[in-house]
Amino acid sequence: MRARFAWLALSSTVLIGAKAPADFAFVGCPIVRDTKSVPCWLAEYRGELYYIGIQTDVSAEFSPPSLGHKVLVEGRISDEPRICGGVVIKPVKVSVMEERAEDCNLLLPAEDRYDLPFEPPRPPGPSAGRLAFTYAPPPPAPTPPFKPRSFDIHYDFNGTVGFSTPRFLQPVLKYAREVNASKIEITGLRGATQLDDGSLLIEHDYIAEKRAHQIADLLKGVGVTRPHYVINAHINYEIGDWKVRRVTVVVSP
Amino acid sequence: MSISVATIQKRWKDTGGKDPIFAAIDGQNCPHLPSGDPASHSLLLKRGLFRIFLPWPPKAPDGSRIDPEFTLEVVRDPTGCNTHPEYGLNSANPTISVYRRPRPIINMKYPTQDRFGAGEFVGKTGMPASRDPDTNRPVSMNLMSDARHPTLKMQAIDAAMNHLQYAGKPTDEQIARIVAFEKQIYGAQVWRKGAGSLIEKDGPTSFGPRALAAGEEGVLGNNTSRWVFPMGDAWKTPQKKEEAEMRASIRRGHDIFTFRTFWIRDSMHLNTVGLGNPTKRTCATCHGMHMTGMDSANGWMDLGTTNLPWAKETPRNPWTKEQPEMPLFRVTCKAGVPPHPYLGRVFYTQDPGRALISGKCNDVGTIVMQQFRGLAARAPYFSNGSAASIRELIDFYDRRYNIQFSDEEKLDLENFLSSL
Repeated sequence: MRARFAWLALSSTVLIGAKAPADFAFVGCPIVRDTKSVPCWLAEYRGELYYIGIQTDVSAEFSPPSLGHKVLVEGRISDEPRICGGVVIKPVKVSVMEERAEDCNLLLPAEDRYDLPFEPPRPPGPSAGRLAFTYAPPPPAPTPPFKPRSFDIHYDFNGTVGFSTPRFLQPVLKYAREVNASKIEITGLRGATQLDDGSLLIEHDYIAEKRAHQIADLLKGVGVTRPHYVINAHINYEIGDWKVRRVTVVVSP
Repeated sequence: MSISVATIQKRWKDTGGKDPIFAAIDGQNCPHLPSGDPASHSLLLKRGLFRIFLPWPPKAPDGSRIDPEFTLEVVRDPTGCNTHPEYGLNSANPTISVYRRPRPIINMKYPTQDRFGAGEFVGKTGMPASRDPDTNRPVSMNLMSDARHPTLKMQAIDAAMNHLQYAGKPTDEQIARIVAFEKQIYGAQVWRKGAGSLIEKDGPTSFGPRALAAGEEGVLGNNTSRWVFPMGDAWKTPQKKEEAEMRASIRRGHDIFTFRTFWIRDSMHLNTVGLGNPTKRTCATCHGMHMTGMDSANGWMDLGTTNLPWAKETPRNPWTKEQPEMPLFRVTCKAGVPPHPYLGRVFYTQDPGRALISGKCNDVGTIVMQQFRGLAARAPYFSNGSAASIRELIDFYDRRYNIQFSDEEKLDLENFLSSL
C-alpha cells in the first residue's frame, strides 16, 4: 500500500543569503502611547523612538506587540514626519519575542502634542458594524486543466499557527477542494534576521518541522484527508527578512 | 435555566440533602466522602460548584490520546479527589477533578449559532474548529465552559452518561426531546426593584425573554445598527418618579458597558489576536455578541478567574480558620513549546479550563464566556463561583484591569447587568 504520509528532513540544503535582508531590524522594548483615539505603538532602540503602528482590530495587517515582551522590528526607516513622537518604520513587521521581559512595561499617557495625523480606521469602542480592513476578493475558481499551485504561509519570528494563519490557509484549502487535490507537498522553513547591532537572530532549530507538520494537521483537521501528504523541513536557516519564515504548500490536482 | 447557590441551599434544607443534585458523583466534593455531610458537599453548598471529572491526559474526539504540552502537579487538594487512589490523577483511570458552575440553559439559539465567528478554524488560535458529528459543519464552540462538546445533543449524552450515571445510553428519541426542550426556553430579567417592569411596550428593546426569542442570533454587536444590548429610546422621556432614578442608572450602566474604555492586558486569546497587549477597549469588545454579551468568536479566554495571580486566593495565616476551598495545580509548559506569554513556563491554576481538552499550554485557565441574561437570578459568578455577587464580579474586573471605576459607575453597571 502506498504510504499516505511521508516525512523528509532536508538537512543538506544551502539557502543562506537567498533573500535580501531587511533594511533595518532590531530587538527592543515596545512602548504604547495613548492618544485621544486609539493607542499608538512605538519601540525604543539605542535611545531613539520608532513608530510602528496603531491599535485597530483583527483584520489589520499590523498586529501590535506586547508589553512584557521584547519586540523584533523589521522594516525600513521612512522619511515621513514622526508619528506619536517616533521615527516612522514603514513597511514594518513586528514579532513578539517569546520570553518575558518585565522591564518592557512602558505605557505613556496621551499628550496633545502627539495626535495621530490620520483618522484611525476603527475607534477604541465598538465598531460601526464592520472590521477596519477588508481583504482582497478571492480569485475566481480555477478551470481545467488544473495545475500544481504553490502557496506561502508566513510567520512571526519563532511563530507557529496563530489567529492569522487561517487567513493564509484558506486559499490553500479552497484550491485543494476545487481541484480535488491528490498530493500536497508541505515544506517548512526557518529564518534568521540580521540585526542592526551586527548579531544574527536565528529561529529555533525545530521550528521548520513543527510548522510543516502543523499545516498538514490543520488541513487534515478540516477534512482534506484524500491527498498524499509529503512533508519536508529545512534544518538550515535562511537569512533574510520576514518572508523567509514560511511554509510553502504545493497543491497538485 | 441555571441554579443559584441560594436555591441549592434551600434544596438541601428542604430535602435533607437527598435531592439528586447532591449525588455523590458530582454533587459531592468527591464520591468517596460520606454523603449527607454538608462538608462533603461544601463546594456545591457554598459556591454552587459541581464536580467535573475529565481524563488526563485528554482524549481527542476519536478516543486517541492527546500528548499535552504541559505537566500538571497537584499542589493543593482540599477535596481529596485529585490525589485519591480511585478518583485521582494517579488512579487506574487517571482523572482530574475541577469544580464549575452550571451554565444557563436559556436562549440556546445564541450560544449554538453557526454564523458569525463559527468557521472551519478557531478564530483565536487558528486550530480546526469542532464539528457537529451529524452535519459535519463547524460549530461556534460556545456551548460549554471548556468547549468539550460541540452540540446540545452531545452535551446531553455526556451529561446522561457522566453526571446522571445513566446505565446504558439514552435513546435518540430521549436525546431529541431533551434538545427540543432546551431550545424552546428563553430567559431574561423582566422586573427589577426600583425600575419596575423591564418589558413594557416602550421599554428597552433587548430586555425580556420575548426580545431574545425574536432576536437575531450570530450577530456581532456594534454601535450603529445592532448594539450588543439594544436599548432603543427607552426611558429617555420623563419616567414615573419612583422608577426614574433606577431607570436612568440602568441606561448609564449600558453606556459604561459599551463605551467606557480601559486597558485590557495579559488576557490569553484576547491580547494575542492582533489587538496588542494592552489594548484600549471596552466591556463590549469581548462581550460582543448581540443580545447575549457572549464572545461571538469561539470564546475561551483567560481573564484570571482561575489562574494565579488573579484567581481568588486568601493568603494563609495561623489566626484564622479559613481554609482554601479550591484545588491548586502547578502547570509546567514542556520544553519545545513556547512558555505561556503572560504567565511564563511555570504557573498555578485552580482549573486548567480549555487546556484539559486541548492539552495546549496557552489554553490553561481559559474559559468559554457565558451569556449575560438572567444574571441576577444565578449568583455566584465566574466558572468557579468566585464572585458572590454582581458587585464582586465588577470589582474583580476593576482590580484585574485597573479600570478605576467610580462608586457610581460600579452601581450603574451593577444595575444594568442585573436587569438583563
